[in-house]
Amino acid sequence: MGNGRAYFQKEMQRIEEQALGGLDMVVGLLDEALEALDQCDAELAAIVVADDDRIDGRYLEVHQGVLSLLARQAPVAGDLRVVAALLHVVKHLERIGDQCTNIAKMVPLLGHEPPTDLDIVERIGQMGAQARSQVRQARQSFALRDPDLALDLARQDDTLDRLNREIFRRAIDIGGENADKREWAMSMVLVARALERIGDNAVDVGEQTVFVVTGLFREFGEERAR
Amino acid sequence: MSDTTAPDWTSREGDAGDRGESAVVSLGARTAQVDAPARSTQAVFELQGLGVLYGGKQAVQDVTVDLHEHEITAFIGPSGCGKSTILRCLNRMNDLVPSARVEGSIRYHGQDLYDSKVDSVEVRKRIGMVFQKPNPFPKSIFDNIAFGPKVLGMKGDMNEIVERALRRAALWDEVKDRLKTNAFGMSGGQQQRLCIARCLAVDPDVILMDEPCSALDPISTGKIEDLMLELKRDYSIVIVTHNMQQAARVSDRTAFFIVDLSAGEGNRIGRLIEYDATDKIFTNPADSRTEDYVTGKVG
Repeated sequence: MGNGRAYFQKEMQRIEEQALGGLDMVVGLLDEALEALDQCDAELAAIVVADDDRIDGRYLEVHQGVLSLLARQAPVAGDLRVVAALLHVVKHLERIGDQCTNIAKMVPLLGHEPPTDLDIVERIGQMGAQARSQVRQARQSFALRDPDLALDLARQDDTLDRLNREIFRRAIDIGGENADKREWAMSMVLVARALERIGDNAVDVGEQTVFVVTGLFREFGEERAR
Repeated sequence: MSDTTAPDWTSREGDAGDRGESAVVSLGARTAQVDAPARSTQAVFELQGLGVLYGGKQAVQDVTVDLHEHEITAFIGPSGCGKSTILRCLNRMNDLVPSARVEGSIRYHGQDLYDSKVDSVEVRKRIGMVFQKPNPFPKSIFDNIAFGPKVLGMKGDMNEIVERALRRAALWDEVKDRLKTNAFGMSGGQQQRLCIARCLAVDPDVILMDEPCSALDPISTGKIEDLMLELKRDYSIVIVTHNMQQAARVSDRTAFFIVDLSAGEGNRIGRLIEYDATDKIFTNPADSRTEDYVTGKVG
């Protein structure tokens, strides 16, 4: 390979770095959302909601960059696959940002010292760590063009799905007469749902990695279901 | 910065090094704008109501546009829309066509390019041109580059001048061992880069390119395009191209021209339709005629 079309290659690399940097941003946002939830910190939660605008801004930057590359540089073959995949990656990271916002918006509704359930709290903690790890792994799989790392995401995502179901069941079980606790448990079901969706978006980024490397689009979930 | 590049039409000697120094100064300041056109950069050329007539017939009418420093500006449009005519006005090449008459004004770094006191040879030194077909002299590679500096009486070590020009044109490594061989032995792409090097040897400010790649294969075209993107740090470039994709790939701003036939088939008049950041022209043009042209529906 020579260094032909150096400007184009540089520009494509710049946009990819922007998109992958966006994934780093949402990992940070997720950390803050989980901390706000853990500490019942409404102020931090408000910052998370406000910071989602930065993620949206990043989405627009990458989107515009991709349109410009398509219109001006006519990428083909592997380059075209990367550019098309970036459009998906940036959409997924924008959705992860939205899910972080959804988690943060729960915080002020919970009150200062809500009645909690240790089972659920523990599982939310596990889900948070798992979702975070999956987003990071998705980023790594794309950056390294590593389909094995990407495929592994689908396996890991089972953990999130299982914890999500467990939290749902537990929330039903602890319903009882305590209205405050019921409300708290319902909120945790929504938080768990948001974390489960973050995991799905990470898996989707992994699917884009495989597409870039192989040229074939495979939905990991469907393959596992077979 | 503009002070150092402001033209001094009356002196042809002794100022050859100025441009090189100012280029170094401008390099750092300008690199941040490589990816960000359409900001407020200094205008090199200000065209105001520019029109050109050949033998009394209007060829181009009412072109008003500012062309910016350290950018690549592309002129696109169908055949006969006047884009090459306008390009030739920018270094007074039309002076060489007896029947040509230029209306309106062109200011170069704020000075009237068509002022009677302006020396057209000095103009063409500062504003070089590269043509469609590579046109090296039937001389050695070295002599091709050294010719301009010698004629202009440029001071300094000629070997250094030649090497610097060839390096800037990304040609040095390919020809350094055969500088004394005839330039006609080079490939088409190399000949075109030689012509660019020849243009750079006299330390110009602006490089005008009239379809510089239309006679070249895709690999050579890619090399010239990469070179243009390098050169815009130190020079301002205006390119006329039939190849819309080339304009899209390399330029910061694009001007789209059409042929106006409303005055009858015998009166084809070139007009500027839209001038904007290249990104805008190729993703969301303002004028439907631009959209039709860039999408290939007409033209």
